[in-house]
Amino acid sequence: MSNTEVLLQQLIIGLSNGMIIALIALGYTMVYGIVELINFAHGDLFMLGAFLALTVVGALGLDAIPEPALLSWGFIPLLIIVPLFCATLNWSIDRLAYRPLRDAPRLAPLVSAIGVSFVLINIGLFWGGLRMDVFNGGVAAASPKDFPWIVSSANLLGPDSNIILTWNELLVFAITVPLMIGLSVLVKFTRLGKAMRAVAQNPTAARLMGIDVDRVIGATFLIGGALAGAAAVVYSSYNHTIYFQMGFRVGMDAFTAAVLGGIGNLPGALVGGLVIGVIRAMSDQYIATEWTNVVVFAILIVVLTFRPSGILGATVREKV
Amino acid sequence: MPAGGIRRILVLRAGWILLAIALVLPVFDSFLPREFQFAGLMRPIFILAILGLGLNVVTGYTGLLNLGLAAFMAIGAYSYGILTCDIYPYQLSFWTALPLTICIGATAGIVLGLPTIRLRGDYLAIVTLGLGEIMQDTLKNLDGITQGTQGINPLPAPRLFNYQFSPENWIPWYYLLLAILAVVVLFCRNLEHSRVGRSWIAIREDEIAATCMGINPVKVKLLAFSVGAELAAMSGGLWAAYLGSTGEPGNYDFQISIIALCMVIIGGMGNISGVLLGAVVMIGFNSILLVKVTTILAQKGLIDTQNVITVPSNWKYMVFGFALILTMRFKPEGLLPSRQIKAELHEMDEDRRALKKKAGTK
Amino acid sequence: MSLLHVDDVTMQFGGLTAVNKVDFRVERGQIFSVIGPNGAGKTTVFNAITGVYEPTEGIILIDGRPGMRPVTPRTILGIALVGVLTAAGFTIALNLESMWNAAISANYIYKQPFAWGKAIGDALGHLRSAPATLTLLPAIAGLLIGVAGATSVWRRSRRSPDVVARQGVARTFQNPRVFHQMTVLENVLVGMDTKLRTRFWHAACRLGFKHEHCSSVEKAMAMLRFVELEDEAGAAASCLSYGHQRRLEIARALASEPKLLLLDEPAAGMNPSESVDLMELIRKIRDRGIAVVLIEHHMNLVMGVSDRIAVLDYGNKIAEGTPDEIQACPKVRKAYLGTDLD
Repeated sequence: MSNTEVLLQQLIIGLSNGMIIALIALGYTMVYGIVELINFAHGDLFMLGAFLALTVVGALGLDAIPEPALLSWGFIPLLIIVPLFCATLNWSIDRLAYRPLRDAPRLAPLVSAIGVSFVLINIGLFWGGLRMDVFNGGVAAASPKDFPWIVSSANLLGPDSNIILTWNELLVFAITVPLMIGLSVLVKFTRLGKAMRAVAQNPTAARLMGIDVDRVIGATFLIGGALAGAAAVVYSSYNHTIYFQMGFRVGMDAFTAAVLGGIGNLPGALVGGLVIGVIRAMSDQYIATEWTNVVVFAILIVVLTFRPSGILGATVREKV
Repeated sequence: MPAGGIRRILVLRAGWILLAIALVLPVFDSFLPREFQFAGLMRPIFILAILGLGLNVVTGYTGLLNLGLAAFMAIGAYSYGILTCDIYPYQLSFWTALPLTICIGATAGIVLGLPTIRLRGDYLAIVTLGLGEIMQDTLKNLDGITQGTQGINPLPAPRLFNYQFSPENWIPWYYLLLAILAVVVLFCRNLEHSRVGRSWIAIREDEIAATCMGINPVKVKLLAFSVGAELAAMSGGLWAAYLGSTGEPGNYDFQISIIALCMVIIGGMGNISGVLLGAVVMIGFNSILLVKVTTILAQKGLIDTQNVITVPSNWKYMVFGFALILTMRFKPEGLLPSRQIKAELHEMDEDRRALKKKAGTK
Repeated sequence: MSLLHVDDVTMQFGGLTAVNKVDFRVERGQIFSVIGPNGAGKTTVFNAITGVYEPTEGIILIDGRPGMRPVTPRTILGIALVGVLTAAGFTIALNLESMWNAAISANYIYKQPFAWGKAIGDALGHLRSAPATLTLLPAIAGLLIGVAGATSVWRRSRRSPDVVARQGVARTFQNPRVFHQMTVLENVLVGMDTKLRTRFWHAACRLGFKHEHCSSVEKAMAMLRFVELEDEAGAAASCLSYGHQRRLEIARALASEPKLLLLDEPAAGMNPSESVDLMELIRKIRDRGIAVVLIEHHMNLVMGVSDRIAVLDYGNKIAEGTPDEIQACPKVRKAYLGTDLD
């Protein structure tokens, strides 16, 4: 493998993972933009989405197909069920844990979110103990689970190519790109999108203009949850391993991406996600896998030293 | 109103009451049947209470959310380990290594705080969270220095005058840790009622108003961050000394930071007695109650250890999580009401006494 | 030299010009009022003076000095130090494990005495023999990042309200911003912070602490007596009524012993008799030698107490003069009433 090929291969991996990270980061950033809350539970929501995806795969027998067709239809039920589940769950979390704290000091919903995150982690642990074949029959609940290939693993560039590009990578883009375009169209052009932007700028004024603020916030949680669900499907089918603490790990990356891009800023989440994805891939290849987290953190610190609100973030002026 | 009187005494003198209970506990404990004895298990409470007090300075007083306190605890534990263990050339004693550990922790706090302390609150939370994670990675990766996942051991136990502490006899440890905790409590209490503590609380309450009164927010926050780091490092050092090993880097994970956060939040933010009570509740639950219940149930064959759901200790996260959610929802000021309530009880005794003295001299 | 110079100050937020080329001067011991309809930019001027906002254009001088951290040799030294330390940090971080191996692991034999001098020499020798990509490169990168980072951070924090406050400017806010969870007395003690000398370790160990504590409490009580709040000293600030919170803010501001006191609508929500008391209080403050700048809508109060008045409308200063001159000015009437009465 030549140097350029290695670089290209890592770029493919980095961008694919970056898109997934960006999809999760969008959920963080949307919620932050609208209620100024870091939704700690978002990563764990994503984790539960992945566990549901594996359950569905087991229940529908999608893993039993010996050599999956080029593009398995198995994705369709996953992409419907999992986002729906995550969206509902995210909405309920907001309804039960965050909405009562809307007028409390900033720290209160944040702490509540950490609490929700822990509850979800525990549910993930129990879920891993499910007595299904795909969960190893329920032994070793805490250990990572294999997520089967549900699309063909054949190299699209031909069996002789050194660079590997499969349907898996293409699927990542085929799913994430339309979702992001859809999201920006929604935020820019629809009534709901306008309402969301209005609430983000000034909830009180938005309420006075007749916008049902709680509904708009609820809708934001629904959309963020659905994105996390989609990300969970894509992530698990791309990376093939899921475990109950992954919400924390992957959520950390998504967080970092959102902060790096400028939290509350939708294009920022995409930029941050891609930057993190590529840095991770390059660091895995050229430095050492075990130092990757440290490298990402160091870059985050350096960026924040020069741009305290992230790459695309605007500086906020507090009203006095 | 006798009920009000009792509540008042409980609120105002909670620290002294806890201290009195802690002093006589070993005596009381020795009368209990063997399998119910628990005072020996109290030592983690004292050590982690110091961690909680550190977080209380950062989060409770100053309002900075530090989710990476475990990183500073790890720094403390490993500094202590490297300074005392005989596989390294330093081989200091407990009494020299501990102050050095504290200094290292404070320095680490300043170095890591300098570039980050100006960030908005939520950004700081993320950065500290990340710090907690990469500290584990770093310690694991530097295995030539830190022995990687084996941890550094054995660490020598402290000597006091001619008495050598030993793992077998827990009572001296108990009183040593209690005494150290008492010193830390006094330290925090003095700070709280001084110019330093006031500026911390002022920054938490209203940063703009405080800066307009001439308080330099960066200096004040950095000081709080560093004091938090120093107390965390101290608890890390004590933890390593108590275990006789640093344990593996993975022990200093997010869970530790969250336990500290739970102590502060459930006990009562910005209130020392609250944090102590929080430590008793949290650690008592986590490392005494859960462990005891699980062992007893397993011995009696009441639970199937193969099934995750039936093992009580697997419910830990769930309990922590609900504790945080419910506290925030129904009792956001925590179990022990903080300064505000005290103020309403008109007992800022400190200042009053000072005033009375003045009035008396006139 | 006047106490406060506001020279051609312009404040823009995005495209909106909130304050346009406003200038005025406040002399020592003067009561100066800034009036104008709502949204005229009065509070923005206050925020520019106190350093909460940085003016887009123009100069603000307090006692002839700009309200910014000055560039001193100490600043430059500090930035250089950060640069050097970052450089050292980067280099050591990259070589930590190999240096440790060369210095400690290679020289230490279990439970044998340890040659410290040799170890340090070995560590430096190792660093010298390491390739430049592992030593020189990170050192240069660290130096650049350290210096640039420290400069960027310092420049951003250069203009901060605490610098202005330490030059002797204190203020109150349009909506009272007292520290709710503190007692009334503690609120005033926070105001005194810049005058206190207790250091961290003294506070922590109570060394030489009592004396200053007692004298500061005594002074704070005197302040509270001055604004007639001494009976509430032990109460939580959040329990105070709105009017009392305003007076507490004034006491807190006075506690910093300012030369200049900025009051942002101190009479808002007060009844006529309370505003008469307030007028008296403002005069008493002036008599202590403190210049007062006042934003106020109560015309009786403004006309009764001010030495000079500036009128803002849509961010422009439309008039300045003594109360009599302002009352006679047709432009002012027009701004307030919308039409020219004459």
